[in-house]
Amino acid sequence: MIAAKIMIAQPKTCTTDEQVGVVFDRMRMQSLRMLPVVDADGVLKGVLSTFSVLGRIVPDYIVSGDLNAIAYAPDLGLLRKHYTTVSDQPVAEIMETTYLAVGANESLLSVAAALIGFGKHEYALVVEKGGRLLGIISAGDILDSLLQITEDGRYSDA
Amino acid sequence: MHEAVANHGVIFGLDPLWLAVSVLLLVYAVVMMEKFNRAVLSLLGAGMMILGGVLTQQQAVAGVDFNTIGLLTGMMVIVAISQKTGMFQYVAIRAAKAVKGKPWGVLVMLATVTAIFSAFLDNVTTVLLIAPVTLLITDALGVRPYPYLFSQILASNIGGTATLIGDPPNIMIGSAAHLSFYDFLVNLAPIIPVIFLVTILMIWVIFGRDLKANEENRSLIMAFNENEAIKNVGLLKKCLLVLVLVISGFTVAHHFNLEPASIAMVGAALLLLLQTWGEPLKDKDHAFEEIMAEVEWTTIFFFVGLFIVVTGVEHTGAITWLADKTLAMTGGDFNATVGAILWISAIASAMIDNIPFVATMIPMIHDMGPSFGGPDALQPLWWALALGACLGGNGSLIGASANLIVAGFAQRAGHPIAFLVFMKHAFVLMLVSVVMAHLYIYLRYLS
Repeated sequence: MIAAKIMIAQPKTCTTDEQVGVVFDRMRMQSLRMLPVVDADGVLKGVLSTFSVLGRIVPDYIVSGDLNAIAYAPDLGLLRKHYTTVSDQPVAEIMETTYLAVGANESLLSVAAALIGFGKHEYALVVEKGGRLLGIISAGDILDSLLQITEDGRYSDA
Repeated sequence: MHEAVANHGVIFGLDPLWLAVSVLLLVYAVVMMEKFNRAVLSLLGAGMMILGGVLTQQQAVAGVDFNTIGLLTGMMVIVAISQKTGMFQYVAIRAAKAVKGKPWGVLVMLATVTAIFSAFLDNVTTVLLIAPVTLLITDALGVRPYPYLFSQILASNIGGTATLIGDPPNIMIGSAAHLSFYDFLVNLAPIIPVIFLVTILMIWVIFGRDLKANEENRSLIMAFNENEAIKNVGLLKKCLLVLVLVISGFTVAHHFNLEPASIAMVGAALLLLLQTWGEPLKDKDHAFEEIMAEVEWTTIFFFVGLFIVVTGVEHTGAITWLADKTLAMTGGDFNATVGAILWISAIASAMIDNIPFVATMIPMIHDMGPSFGGPDALQPLWWALALGACLGGNGSLIGASANLIVAGFAQRAGHPIAFLVFMKHAFVLMLVSVVMAHLYIYLRYLS
């Protein structure tokens, strides 16, 4: 089985110049936790995830552990303040540029192994040679395809 | 010059004078490189003094100032327990709210809180507690944290100058010169608020106009709930009781011929007893071990090694020689010597660790006693050394440990403090503070 067989083709995407707030609202409406970011030619530039947004709104001095046990701080107010700043920025400013890209002809096993090795997201982005985005595969997609084959009582590596 | 030197031979036929001075300079140099643990270096230096035959073990042990060690350790234990209560965060937030989150007011309040805490606690501990809350407050206000952190570095070193327990050099000077907490309070504390106020005014000139926050951000400050910062009300009461007893003890200790170390150690033992009162023995043991782990043993053993190294140099007569040279340089003029001690201490402390520097200067000033009419006449020299060594720490980012701690917080928070940017303003402010200190010493003791 190759990646092209189980990937979700033409996945939902956003562009580098869209506002984070607009894209994030769209992600929430569609219950998406991650969106590939592409340019006008459909070439993959990065990913925007709930995690990358969270990483930008939680201050570094808290992430570093220098200030813990801060029950006295108005946490929602602080996070909202940071989110307001981040939401006005273009996606290019906060998107993650390290992501897992795989070729369409890669085997399912190597995609699964790469996902485990990458460890950061549970998504692999399927790209063609020039970097144009073809599809997306999640760890769940791999397991779903496995279950489907098992339920059908047949499997094929073709 | 070698007559005073030890009595059990020198290995490899090394000249004790050169061996002792080389060890001292080597310890200084390698400590400055910051590649090795400084306690290990000073202990190695101490070992070389004994193995090299400069000192006997008995002389080395006698050279350790256990009053300084006891005072430092006792205060470290008290602070380690007190910081668990959250009282420092409580005070910082109350201070910010008292000025309704106005950015300049918050800067002044946090600097004042830092200066007051630093007068009674170790400077490093003070900034460890205040700087992270400052990052939170400035973040909520939407202002640059640098002016706030800058003012707190300066405030910690200025505040620490005021009392016997505010800064390690003062502890060393107080112990060596038999100067009490009360002596420091009467002689140093009066000039500190003046220096602090002038420094704050100059910080206003440098940063004041740029500090602006909108209503929404200020309302965020008012939404802080400082009561949530207090983690253990019972322990807080015990800590406040012991702190009041210890500070009262310091002020009256000299009337009862008690050393500050005794007061601090008894206070530490009392608080260790009270903090787990009524709990099972297993919990008491665990709490004790937890507190002991928070004592800065690196600093304690650095002091132990350093005292031995300096005692070794002292035994060779090198420090007497240095004192004679300093007196020759100033022509034996007392006023000029006071000025030289103040300014050399300030400039040196801006560049090197002031603890080994003060450790070297103490026996040198002692040796000047006979030239100036005995130990009692030396007091202005001690105040000059204390003011120079403590205020000098503001001259650069490496001038004091507290400065580096704050720089570390700023770096991790994504607001790194550049060495030269800090020094551009801090060195000038340090010079102004030393000029004020010089004027104070002159008017009070020399005119």
